[in-house]
Amino acid sequence: MEKYEQLLNMLMDFNSSVRFAAVSDSSGNLLWNSQRDGVSNIVPIEKTKATMSRSRGEWDEAVSSADHMGNGLYSITSYAKIKRITIPLSDGNMLFISVNNKPMKNTKNTSYGHLVEMGEILSIVEFVESQNF
Amino acid sequence: MSRYEKLLHMLMDYEPTILLTAISDTSGNILWNTVRDESKVEIPLPEIKKSLVRESGDWITRCKIEDSDDLGRAMYHIASFEKIKQVTIPLDAFHMLMIYVDNIPLKKTKTKSYGRYVQMGKIMSIVDFVNTFEE
Repeated sequence: MEKYEQLLNMLMDFNSSVRFAAVSDSSGNLLWNSQRDGVSNIVPIEKTKATMSRSRGEWDEAVSSADHMGNGLYSITSYAKIKRITIPLSDGNMLFISVNNKPMKNTKNTSYGHLVEMGEILSIVEFVESQNF
Repeated sequence: MSRYEKLLHMLMDYEPTILLTAISDTSGNILWNTVRDESKVEIPLPEIKKSLVRESGDWITRCKIEDSDDLGRAMYHIASFEKIKQVTIPLDAFHMLMIYVDNIPLKKTKTKSYGRYVQMGKIMSIVDFVNTFEE
């Protein structure tokens, strides 16, 4: 199995709130994607591709800030229904994850969505990138 | 004091890891800002201004997506770098809040750290609270 197919499978297994995961190349073109069974698209795949391409551009622009801020680790864009996560990969590709963000029903206070365990997601990414495929 | 100046002060009082806050218009021009300790903010002002312009443009796109793609309200964006987390929040149709949070890992972490946790729920609560104020 190819390295990034393995990554997408591990992310899907890791957390049931992950709806969709994909890897794009340095130009923002979709290379691999994985969608959870039984989860319907909120956004058509063509629009998701456009979002991935735009996110790639955002990371390319952010490179100029690396001297002062350090290397880019990840980004999260939070909408009421989903969170979109992007992670620049070491070979120039980019990981894109869409996570369910609908608040739990039994929250006492106003909820701003689910917490994303970025530490664990980044650990999975680092583990897969360290393997020889 | 305007409502948004009040917001910046409340954020600074609330969280010591916040290094800088700024509110810009939709073109990325700084309208108000606060800095905790200039020696800790190693990002030059032109770089901050460049980020504001870039993020303002990105938020216009994100808000269009919110309208067209049925994703619900666009709430916030976090860009996490090794040293800094950059958080942006649209306040209303004309203003954007940008926050720089110190992201250098604490020395006592047992496992590998990817930076510090940002309590977005509390930050969003402060933003929503201040947005209820009358000017």
